[in-house]
Amino acid sequence: VKLKGLSCIISALIFSFLFAAPAVAQDLSVDDVARQLICMCGCNSVLPDCVHLECGVRESMRGEIAAQLAAGKSKAEIVQFFVDRYGEVVLSAPPKKGFNLTAWLTPFLALAAGGGVVYLLLRNWVFQGKSPAVTPSPEHSAIDEEYHRRLEKELIEFREGR
Amino acid sequence: MADLGYIALLLALVVAVYSAVASILGARSRNAELLSSSRNGIYALSGLLTLSAIALFYALFTRDFRLEYVASYSSRDLSAFYTATAFWAGNAGSLLFWAWTLSLFAALVVALNRRTNRELMPYVIAVIAVTQAFFLLLMIFLSNPFAKSAFPPADGMGLNPLLKDPGMAFHPPTLLIGYMGFTIPFAFAIAALITRRLGDEWVRVTRRWTLTAWLFLGVGNFFGMWWAYKVLGWGGYWAWDPVENAGLMPWLTGTAFLHSVMIQKRRGMLKVWNMILIIVTFCLTIFGTFLTRSGVLSSVHTFAESGLGPLFLAFIGVSLVGSTALLASRLNDLRSEDELDSFVSRESTFLLNNLILVGATFAIFLGTVFPVISEWVKGVKITVSAPFFNQVTGPIFLLLILLMGVCPLIGWRRATLRNLLRNFLYPLITAVVLAVVLFLLGVKVWYALLGFAISGFVLGTIFLEWFRGVRARHRTRKENYIKAFLNLVWGNRPRYGGYIVHVGIILLAIGILGSTAYKVEKEVTVSPGESLSIKNYVLKYENIDVYRTSKEWVAAATLSVYNGERFRGTMTAEKRFHDNYQQWVSKVAIRSNPLEDLYVIFSGWEEIDGPAIFKVVVNPLVLWIWIGGGVLILGAMIAFWPERARPAPRRTEVKA
Repeated sequence: VKLKGLSCIISALIFSFLFAAPAVAQDLSVDDVARQLICMCGCNSVLPDCVHLECGVRESMRGEIAAQLAAGKSKAEIVQFFVDRYGEVVLSAPPKKGFNLTAWLTPFLALAAGGGVVYLLLRNWVFQGKSPAVTPSPEHSAIDEEYHRRLEKELIEFREGR
Repeated sequence: MADLGYIALLLALVVAVYSAVASILGARSRNAELLSSSRNGIYALSGLLTLSAIALFYALFTRDFRLEYVASYSSRDLSAFYTATAFWAGNAGSLLFWAWTLSLFAALVVALNRRTNRELMPYVIAVIAVTQAFFLLLMIFLSNPFAKSAFPPADGMGLNPLLKDPGMAFHPPTLLIGYMGFTIPFAFAIAALITRRLGDEWVRVTRRWTLTAWLFLGVGNFFGMWWAYKVLGWGGYWAWDPVENAGLMPWLTGTAFLHSVMIQKRRGMLKVWNMILIIVTFCLTIFGTFLTRSGVLSSVHTFAESGLGPLFLAFIGVSLVGSTALLASRLNDLRSEDELDSFVSRESTFLLNNLILVGATFAIFLGTVFPVISEWVKGVKITVSAPFFNQVTGPIFLLLILLMGVCPLIGWRRATLRNLLRNFLYPLITAVVLAVVLFLLGVKVWYALLGFAISGFVLGTIFLEWFRGVRARHRTRKENYIKAFLNLVWGNRPRYGGYIVHVGIILLAIGILGSTAYKVEKEVTVSPGESLSIKNYVLKYENIDVYRTSKEWVAAATLSVYNGERFRGTMTAEKRFHDNYQQWVSKVAIRSNPLEDLYVIFSGWEEIDGPAIFKVVVNPLVLWIWIGGGVLILGAMIAFWPERARPAPRRTEVKA
């Protein structure tokens, strides 16, 4: 039950992370729109971050965004304008719909599936062990544990005022 | 000399193939002479490849432009420092560097194991020799560093201006050594599978080799970030470029491997999983070398492209299929020797940590190859870039650092409620107080707030653990606090080295969170004498200076920086244009303090003394990324430091 609750919280967190609407910006700047796009000069970087200034693509794309913002277009409209012109490749991340959703969700599904496998493995190992009566035996330990025990002992000794 | 280098490569190929065959035959027939000659083969390989490497260095330094490689990556006016680094500026040289350093590592492995691990060593040698042969084949037939051109030019092209940075001496070699280094634990793993010696033997022998490879790969990535930040000039340090991802992925799986082998060492469990991890890590390192060197995915690293792709893919395929088949055939020998005692134990938290590290790797892998998948499936070209990776891996990495605080404090075998309360109460209070304080100070971006609180929690758990140990030593042994701390760390280096690495990672996380959530950037056009302002800074554009060096045009813009009313000094940001590379390169100006970096890029100008364009960025907490890197290196070196020989704790004795 506890685990279920925890996984609910985690998946809620993940979903809010993925699909939360970005904070509403009062005044949309060129870069707010430009972050949604990549530079088409061939560098493949997010538009504001392109460093190949000599090719001029970055400046012309930014100029286009500035002009459309001035004309009162919304972010979505401007982004759509670029998709119409260049195709989906201009988006800096694939839209969260259709086939592209697999890219967004598979990692988390895989993690959840992996978590399930880990859970089953643990249950197997813990409850259906071959020798259920394993008691923690000190000889069992390696250096770390021996060290830890010594530390514990010293702490106890200290508490007893020695 | 160049011919000598090439002949050495040819001989090395023959020797590598011979060593592989001789060691396998020798092990099968228990022929000591064959085995000994295969060991000598490894020594000979290191000699031959060293000779090749010297030949390339010699050609670079004597400006032997008959060699295509020398003509492409160096020129007469190149300083000695950059002439040396031109060794790994292109494909062929990088491959030679890979093979050369592997041959040195291999010789060291053989020398250290002359009398130990007799059963494993022949197959270790065979795996290394086969890998070596693959790289030699690439060099001899496809990417020959000693290839000669028919018409040698009078002067070379020179080094790409982007590569002319001190980072060039560190980033490529450390990353390549990191990639190469995982060959050693992989070879031991395969040898263990073949010989069915699947206990903790191979895990113990390879611990330091794995740690070395992991450290180099991590350091290589850090240097890459530092370089991107300083030189590429776009205001960030990580662009989620495919080649960056390729360096990160094996590092993550390598981290998972370093942790999960601890369980095999202690408990004899997770044997199959460790095999899978090291196989995957090895394949990812080859994949990384392949991505950097093939240019299949466009990236900032396309300094070096070639037709090496198909061969690399074939090698990865063969390694993956071969080792998986071998693993499958040995499943019966890989049964766990033990079982767990409790759900809440160190062992189970390690499983979670592994799950998340591998999950993060998978997410990054999927994002990296998704454009290719989309083109196959839908025929639509798409881009998967920073926004995707930030959103998908962000929550995964937050979860990971949270586990980093929780795991080391949960006892082996079984954790009690008292134990949990004792270890977690104060750190939890720290985290909550920190979150409240930060919120009141104005940190309102929720993931940053969450991340900082988690970081505080993790640091709290680590410092609490240290404090208890130090106090105990101080009270019982009358050592002063500093001495007690040093003795504590030195007394169990793997453990405390690991903790220090964790501190480094947290500092890295703090830097990333700060600079991701609170980065402010502005692009402004100003005329000389005018000012621009960003956050609490005012920058006044003073003047521009255009001059020529022997091969470059340089335009340097000087700005005065004021913080509020106070003058803080001047910053000079440059643009350079190299004659041979028709490309503007930025030299950014950075003012760094522990709180934030002021980062100025000179984007361009219309006319001299006219308006100029600046991109100005305020990047909070970036300094902590580099400090975190330093702490991580320190911790890894402490963990690596040899311990006095003591009888190995035997788990098996208890069983018997």
